[in-house]
Amino acid sequence: MTIRTLLAVSAFLAATPALAGSAQHAVLARYAAEAKTADPGFTGFSAERGKALFHAKFATGKPDTPSCTTCHTENPKQEGRTRAGKIVPPLALSVKADRYSDFAETEKWFGRNCDSVIGRTCTPVEKGDFISYMITQ
Amino acid sequence: MSEVLTRADCSTILVWDRGVRIFHWGLVAGIVVCGWTGFIAPRNWLNLHLAAGAAVTALVCFRLIWGSTGSTYARFRSFSPSLAAVRAHLAAIAAGRPQHHIGHNPAGALMIYGLLGLLVLLILTGVIALGGALKQGPLAFAVPFAVGWPAREVHEWLAWGLLLLIAGHLCGVVLETLVTRENIVRAMLTGRKRASPAACGNPAKAHPVLAATAFVAGAAGIAAGTIWLSDRPAAGVPGEKLDAAYARECGACHFAFPPSLASAQTWAAVMASLDNHFGENANLDPTQMARMLAWLTANSAERFDTLPANLFRQADPAEPRRITATPAWQRIHRAIPDSVFGSKQVGARGACEACHRDAASGRFDPQSISLPKELR
Repeated sequence: MTIRTLLAVSAFLAATPALAGSAQHAVLARYAAEAKTADPGFTGFSAERGKALFHAKFATGKPDTPSCTTCHTENPKQEGRTRAGKIVPPLALSVKADRYSDFAETEKWFGRNCDSVIGRTCTPVEKGDFISYMITQ
Repeated sequence: MSEVLTRADCSTILVWDRGVRIFHWGLVAGIVVCGWTGFIAPRNWLNLHLAAGAAVTALVCFRLIWGSTGSTYARFRSFSPSLAAVRAHLAAIAAGRPQHHIGHNPAGALMIYGLLGLLVLLILTGVIALGGALKQGPLAFAVPFAVGWPAREVHEWLAWGLLLLIAGHLCGVVLETLVTRENIVRAMLTGRKRASPAACGNPAKAHPVLAATAFVAGAAGIAAGTIWLSDRPAAGVPGEKLDAAYARECGACHFAFPPSLASAQTWAAVMASLDNHFGENANLDPTQMARMLAWLTANSAERFDTLPANLFRQADPAEPRRITATPAWQRIHRAIPDSVFGSKQVGARGACEACHRDAASGRFDPQSISLPKELR
């Protein structure tokens, strides 16, 4: 591990420990391992990229859901609402502490929602970026 | 007011005793409430309709008892129905020689039997409809929807018939008042009518204690029977709670529709297209999906006899997966503006539980409808 990576990781951990517990780190570690397998040059997740992904508008997914924000609103600390009228608890970890603590559950929703919004499965990097953003929120 | 008749004062006599008067005006009030809650008020006023119906039932029972225990003009004996008498009565009016009747005139007598008969039929069809269509009341355990639903229709037609008879009754009152120059509306309030000396004989005395005893015994019997029968489990009503996985997975995004709201065919179509579930991907793992479909099929609309199970079974051919697209759903909700469904409090057409407090049970009782406060 280079000094640079070490610094990046410690900076990342320093920014998030108050919010993310070991469960979230374990989920992130799995995505990091997947990312590394897919791309040996993988250097780490980025909350900035995750934020951009969250707000991006796509034309490739299903027409009723062009963006994450369609249901989750522009503010991840706010409650969202499904098209069927059901309240969705906030995505931000500061508001809902058990988010991203269960890998299977997290995978299930990425599986459904990446297809609905983007029209394909998300890459491990995208998933890790997304979670990295949400645990800073 | 004294109801004792004396030979000294025979210019007017007590014709309508207290029992008849209380019955008459109580019935007026009961029918007004029944008509209002049945024809005009929103569906969730049903309990008031049922209470008024129960009151009318009590009044009719009382009147049937009073018909043989009341005073002279309350007794059925004093106004036997006769078409020949009605013809003679009308002919006399037409000829300008109207007869003065102290109790009911022959047309009025026929009207009383017509009204009482119609009320008995209304009560019976009401209880059958309540049991069969809504799975409530004493017959909920016995009457199938296939009987209760048409009974509701008959109940409504009988109600129109009752309104027609009441209109006829009012015309009769006006005609009688004009022809005899006697204020018979006041007579129904005071009980007294003009009399000829011939009518001043010994009237049959009322037996209020006997009547009250019979009434209390009858009412207690009917009430006890109603409670006992109502306690039996209703037929064809889903009792099972929602499957936990179904409630969790489907309930995450939308109201977890009780499976009795759609046919097995609809559920099969829904579960076969989860990758495009009304515009979104809602995939489940295949084992879980198969298990859930089996549960949905075992609890689909065909298995139950509630009103929604019967009505929503028939899907819309253009959108066979959507419960809110069924012709019955559309018809029932036609008066509700889009703004209600789009409101913050409701959110979507499929958010049943926003207004139906018992939606999760699959019953959808009219009494459980309650629009969010902000939308009332």
